[in-house]
Amino acid sequence: MTDLSIQVRQVDAVAVLRPEGFINAHTVRQFETALEALVQEGRYTILLDCRALNYISSAGLGAIMGLIETVREHGGDILLCSLQKNVFEIFDTLGFTQLYRVFASEGEALQRLNGKD
Amino acid sequence: MRARFEPESFRLVIPSQTRYLNLVTGLAKRASMVAGMDDATSAKISIAVDEAVTNVIVHAYGGEADHQVDIELRFMAQSLEVHICHNGRAIRENEVVLPDPREYVKHPRKGGLGLLLMSRFMDEIRFIETGEGSECCMIKHVV
Repeated sequence: MTDLSIQVRQVDAVAVLRPEGFINAHTVRQFETALEALVQEGRYTILLDCRALNYISSAGLGAIMGLIETVREHGGDILLCSLQKNVFEIFDTLGFTQLYRVFASEGEALQRLNGKD
Repeated sequence: MRARFEPESFRLVIPSQTRYLNLVTGLAKRASMVAGMDDATSAKISIAVDEAVTNVIVHAYGGEADHQVDIELRFMAQSLEVHICHNGRAIRENEVVLPDPREYVKHPRKGGLGLLLMSRFMDEIRFIETGEGSECCMIKHVV
């Protein structure tokens, strides 16, 4: 089993990035590279589907923080969905649930973001 | 060297490389359960250990891969103690400045969150300089 694998797909206006495994100082460069590639391609609305993310350390949070201003300056955003309880607690403990919109499921997030509700 | 007979404890010594982080955090999580912590608390302890060991590898040793990190877990009567020892650059308690999460939300930036997670997820954190090197001691009480 690899430490981290990342799938990316485009659903209408939203780039859905699904990390599987864990994001820490060892795997963060892979995560950061995937995020940066989306931004370089002009895909500024990014949904992190965290259903298969076992945990994220501050290294991973830093990678998200490092891009949030750039995507928002271009009218996009980084959003989260399907967080496991321990991952939600990490975001919530640091107050990040105020900074990022969090959705219960990918379906709910895509409906809202693609204006289909 | 520290006494290793009382209390019950075990040690893990790893090279200063991040590829061993998952091994350490997995052990820390299992040890927390053995100490009587619930699943959620054990997950928090494993994150705090990840952050502390990462600090040693990245900051104390500056990313140099040929050093050692000594992790000892001590099973106390009402708590679990995690001692992370190294011979790299020491972190002094008076240098530790925890970021304010409210400021982070207003002014997003990279870095500085590891110590904050450690302090939020553990009950006590101490940075100690010994004759043999430096130590980060983290304590979580069993409730």
